[in-house]
Amino acid sequence: MRTRKEKSGEVVAYSEAAIRHNHSILEYCRTSMSALSGFTAGVIGLTGILGFVFYFLVAIVLWLIILVKVGSSWDKYFRGRLNLLTNGLGGGLFTYVLFWTFLYGMVHVY
Amino acid sequence: MGELLLDPSIRVWVFLPIVIITFFVGILRHYVSILISSTKKVELQQVEDSQTLIRSRFLRENGKYIPKQSFLMRRHYFNNEETGYFKVASKRPSQAPNPITDPSMMTDMLKGNITNVLPMILIGGWINWTFSGFVTTKVPFPLTLRFKPMLQRGIELMSLDASWVSSASWYFLNVFGLRSIYTLVLGENNAADQTRLMQDQMSGAAMAMPPDPKQAFKAEWEALQICEHHWALKNVENDLIGITAGHQEQSSVASQT
Amino acid sequence: MWKAVIFVSIVSLLHSTFSATQYRSYLRLVEQPFAGVLPLDILLQALLSLLLALVAIVNVCANFKEIRALDDLKYKSVETISNRASFYCFNHRGRLL
Repeated sequence: MRTRKEKSGEVVAYSEAAIRHNHSILEYCRTSMSALSGFTAGVIGLTGILGFVFYFLVAIVLWLIILVKVGSSWDKYFRGRLNLLTNGLGGGLFTYVLFWTFLYGMVHVY
Repeated sequence: MGELLLDPSIRVWVFLPIVIITFFVGILRHYVSILISSTKKVELQQVEDSQTLIRSRFLRENGKYIPKQSFLMRRHYFNNEETGYFKVASKRPSQAPNPITDPSMMTDMLKGNITNVLPMILIGGWINWTFSGFVTTKVPFPLTLRFKPMLQRGIELMSLDASWVSSASWYFLNVFGLRSIYTLVLGENNAADQTRLMQDQMSGAAMAMPPDPKQAFKAEWEALQICEHHWALKNVENDLIGITAGHQEQSSVASQT
Repeated sequence: MWKAVIFVSIVSLLHSTFSATQYRSYLRLVEQPFAGVLPLDILLQALLSLLLALVAIVNVCANFKEIRALDDLKYKSVETISNRASFYCFNHRGRLL
């Protein structure tokens, strides 16, 4: 159980287990996103800085998709909207680079 | 030198097999470590000690909500000179867990090594030996010369651009990069993921015991000894009916707003 | 149903991979330099299947739970209030019955 003061002054209590559950779902989505976007980046043969830009673009797209799915009541499920975007962004980058390199090697090097 | 043209059979017989082998070795390791892992046995004494520490911490933090006498009674139970729990416990003969004499600990360590280190060395060595000396792929972004020893293990070519990757290094990239894929495939708490150990320590706070209970007891004894009792519910009756003692006007204003 | 969509999109992604590989080897055969961009159909197929896969993955994974503790407690009855794990007593006379 965790509490936080809202701006309006009321204290909102959060359930720790639910936060963790949501977080693991997000982690799942993010890992899949990094793998798939790395796959695509390798296939279409992005190189250099373009590939990294592509990763962040796809991350934003995923963020938008999640926001659309959650709908207008996002504050019921998450504590911050921007957290959704930035959480674990760096961790997925390694997976992304691996898949990117893998597919780039498969398609464009040989 | 710009474009190197690699033989497509390198792709089929070196590049792909390394990925597949790394992936399936990770999955195999997961199941093997499930197979041979033993549930950790917890000593009764240890559980008692750690629960007592937790209780003492609760007393320190929330002691203000109980009457002073109750607080003193509880503190007496923990801290009194002859029979207090902490005093007695810290006089106990220490039984520092010795990995040499304790066979179960030895096997635990051995199992950890078998599932983590051994495949790393064995498969890594095997891949190094079987697929040695291939230029397998190229990372799609430019890298500085610093990365050459990291990415081009097994190939000593001065003139080769740093973004080419040798087969041995490709294996290591896979080992590290596939880790999050395992969580995807095998579920959250898989054994292929080393970070799981850290989570165990976080969640099992009651089970985990500090390496030297005596130190913990002494620290807790000190903290409890200097902890003063401030009765937090002194004005509880007044608070309940909405009057704060001495600030009657202010509180009535506040209750209106 | 969304699982099927994930499957389809991954297959489509794989198909675009193969097309890209074919295209590259074709370029090598006719000894043309690679312009850096794949033909538009392969590009579009890859990007669209990625988008489809993302949507499907977000929809396939279990729903989010409400994190407000109050919403969580709404489904619990009054009886659970008196359930305090810290005050469980296992050493009671019931053992001897």
